[in-house]
Amino acid sequence: MSGAAPRIEVRDLVLRYGDATAVDGISFAIAPGELVTLLGPSGCGKTTTLRSIAGLETPSAGAIRLNGETVWSATERRNVPAEKRGVSMVFQSYAIWPHMTVAENVAYGLRVRKASAADIATNVARVLDLVQMRRFADRPASKLSGGQQQRVAVARAIAFSPTVLLFDEPLSNLDAKLRAEMRVELRELQRRLDITSVYVTHDQEEALAISDRVIVMNHGKIEQIGAPETIYAAPATRFVADFVGAANMIEGEVTGSGPNGTLRFQARSGLTLDVAAEGRSQGSLVALRSSYIHLDAGTTARENGIPGTIHRRMFHGDFMQYVVDWPAGQLIVRRPPTERLEEGSAVTISFAPEHCVLLE
Amino acid sequence: MTKGQTGARRRAGTAGNSGAIGGDPPTARAAQLTASPSLAAEQAMSGSMPEEAGIPGLRPPGMHPPRFMLPRMPQPRTWIMLLLLVVAGALILYPLAFLVTESLNVGDPQVFPPEEVGWLNYADLLEEPRVLLNTLLVACIATVLAVLFGFVQAWILTRTAIPGRARLERLMELPYYMTPLIGALAWAVLLGPKTGLVNQAWRTLGFGSDMFDVYSPWGIAWVMALFEGTVAFVMISAAMKSMDPSLEESSRVLGASKLRTALKVTLPLVAPGVLSATVFVFAEMLGSFAAAFVLGIPGRYYVITTAIWQAALSYPPDYGRAAAMGLSLFGAMVITLGIARLIMRKGSYATITGKAFRPRAMEVGALRWPLLGIAWGYIILAVILPLGALALTSFQRFATVIISQMQFTLANYETALAMGSLAPAFGNSLLLGIVVSTIGVPVIGILAWIIYRARLPGAAAMEFVLMIPQAVPRLVFGLGLLWAWINIPIPIYGTLWLLGIAYFTVFIPLGLRTIAGVVLQVDPSLEECARVCGASWGHQLRTVTLPLLRPGLVAAWLLIFIASVRELGVSIFLMGPHSKVVAPAIVNSWLSASSELSAAMALLQTAMVFVAVAILFRVARHVRGAEA
Repeated sequence: MSGAAPRIEVRDLVLRYGDATAVDGISFAIAPGELVTLLGPSGCGKTTTLRSIAGLETPSAGAIRLNGETVWSATERRNVPAEKRGVSMVFQSYAIWPHMTVAENVAYGLRVRKASAADIATNVARVLDLVQMRRFADRPASKLSGGQQQRVAVARAIAFSPTVLLFDEPLSNLDAKLRAEMRVELRELQRRLDITSVYVTHDQEEALAISDRVIVMNHGKIEQIGAPETIYAAPATRFVADFVGAANMIEGEVTGSGPNGTLRFQARSGLTLDVAAEGRSQGSLVALRSSYIHLDAGTTARENGIPGTIHRRMFHGDFMQYVVDWPAGQLIVRRPPTERLEEGSAVTISFAPEHCVLLE
Repeated sequence: MTKGQTGARRRAGTAGNSGAIGGDPPTARAAQLTASPSLAAEQAMSGSMPEEAGIPGLRPPGMHPPRFMLPRMPQPRTWIMLLLLVVAGALILYPLAFLVTESLNVGDPQVFPPEEVGWLNYADLLEEPRVLLNTLLVACIATVLAVLFGFVQAWILTRTAIPGRARLERLMELPYYMTPLIGALAWAVLLGPKTGLVNQAWRTLGFGSDMFDVYSPWGIAWVMALFEGTVAFVMISAAMKSMDPSLEESSRVLGASKLRTALKVTLPLVAPGVLSATVFVFAEMLGSFAAAFVLGIPGRYYVITTAIWQAALSYPPDYGRAAAMGLSLFGAMVITLGIARLIMRKGSYATITGKAFRPRAMEVGALRWPLLGIAWGYIILAVILPLGALALTSFQRFATVIISQMQFTLANYETALAMGSLAPAFGNSLLLGIVVSTIGVPVIGILAWIIYRARLPGAAAMEFVLMIPQAVPRLVFGLGLLWAWINIPIPIYGTLWLLGIAYFTVFIPLGLRTIAGVVLQVDPSLEECARVCGASWGHQLRTVTLPLLRPGLVAAWLLIFIASVRELGVSIFLMGPHSKVVAPAIVNSWLSASSELSAAMALLQTAMVFVAVAILFRVARHVRGAEA
């Protein structure tokens, strides 16, 4: 986060429905122009958090500040209604009003703000251009495909130049190919408009690709906040390691220190690994990313190599996934599709200590 | 992944009301069981436990449960809502309270509050088992016939490739709009002893006696079955349609023959639907009044509803006995409907989902012509023949099928529209229809919004109370209203005001279901998005909510109008000499004047209803067109 005053500040937010706690005391701040993703499985509280920022949910405790102004605070008994918060939102269902045309949908926020007719026309044209929907301006919104509705929803959300843009799983209703395209476009648009955004998704790939920072949530609590690379390479908890990317979990315990400031970790199976310390000196679990593992044919191997056997090979197109039998059970390994090893063949497994992340 | 809206639309229940006498589309009524709004509401609005709180998989992704938005509402609006709820609740509960007290009144039946209370009125019911046995006999015959009609029609129209299937399916709604009253009059004209058109022809052909006497339990059952057949059709075809075709296909792929598949897979899967339709139709038959009245009274063949009518309107009136009978009937119907619901819920297999499938139609080859004939046969018997008979009768001085004796005249229509107290009946019904629906729709619209969207605490209880009139046979509710409003110090008994209030009260469930259907279809995020875009609540209501609800509001207006124009059960108790309305006027004319005049009046009433139905279909088509 830069030194600028945060645009969005969430403090100790709690939201309960009856006995169930959807959001359990979370805090974070988002700097101007930043795109931050709330990532987690369904039911983790990410959408509720987003809706609380929009003013569509009434939290039970905590505070939310937008541009330095308190819009919700339990202690100050302050609750600015959704329409006065100046945020904008792209809904998961798109929420395109079927009884209006594309242009009328997009112009809504401007009309509400009593913009002049000329202003409305210019802005509608501008944002429809941005999402490449200008030629559909006069089409009834009910006659649009899913992808087109998505673009209109984005155009409508940015038309009145909000200071904050919220995305509630905006791409989850699109097919995989379109989703990948829109991901690029949304990021492009967000960068170009330099608009502070909060993005909710359960798709870890999407979160890593699109965000400046990722907030991983589970059971209403924050598991980790960090840049996508950090989240991926140095997961803070078992949940993050498991939820983001593909990782192998190896249980065991730290038995001492290894060379070059590493720790010596003894797996339950008896296998010994050198793992990166990263500020920890204890732990019972090591996470090892599938794509950080090398496989070499035969037993003539690199330093620290561990012998194994290819149990199963699966071709995934962009990568080759191997299930490898090794002393600690089975290991999932992802290699480029060009590295082709036969099932049943002996291999040497190797990985760098810094890729062995010690947890818990 | 589908959009959330589609999910909601699929689950949303449609209009419905189970008044045995008046009515609404059969689809709607069957919807009570298959997808009642309250049930749909529970599913669509697991609002108290939304996504983030757990229970994944209750809603399709993309559907946010409606959120609790009330805390920001200003005070006046809250008060108006509460006031409406209290008034509507009182309108419903007040007559029922009277009914209960009166049924326990064993002193002078004219005195209120009762001087003596006891169970005597109920005990009396068992003293004369005749009426109960009659009721059971008629209901059983009619149920068997109706389910037979419904099953055959459902099978032909959903599973076989006969020409013009889609149109026939639309036409299947028509018998419903005929009403049992019109059906009974028409069949009396056709098969009445000696004078019935068919019986006349039969005798002319040289047969010594009548072909069939419609003034009998069989006649009553026949008319009721033609009417309820379409209800059974809707429920059974829904069960057939909701079956995943791959269930049958996998049986074929695994080597079973067509017949074996039908017996071992199709039948067991459809059975719960057929069974619950049977029980549901039986419950409706218990509470049916019009056919038993027109066809039973001349032969002094009483069922429980006509016995209630007789006890309440004979001199001296025995309200206590009538109320006891009414409440017993209510109890029997509630239990039976409960069983139907239970069968539907517990008996149906998990594989039958709310998803709409279109099962592949079976190629039936040359058999398709006889099947087409059967399908059309039902429409002819239920709609075309009765209307034709009424028309033929209404244009004659003395109804006959012997061409040389026919004397055609318009006099019956002139009388119906011009003479004495009859013309006001048409005017009054029209006026009541327009006023009740025009005032009722906005009020019920607000109630629907409170219950299905605002999620005030206790919404389920409110829904329960507001839905009560639907479970009470119209005639019984009319009795309660009569007794309740006679005893109130506001002098509106015998005026159109009382009829208006009574209509509004009994049509609350109809309106609520219809409007709930669209309220549940409107994805809450459509409204939320307007707020986030900066619109105030009022602006959002005007630009987003009301335009989206419009089709439902229009449909509710028309359905309440139709139901008002043909209302009989309540009107027959509340109509005064200066507040005549059509349906009871037709009945009176049938009992005291000529069948030719009654036929003319019945056709005029049917015309009013069909005009409204035509508009309704247009609106429905328009809405479907916009969604496509």
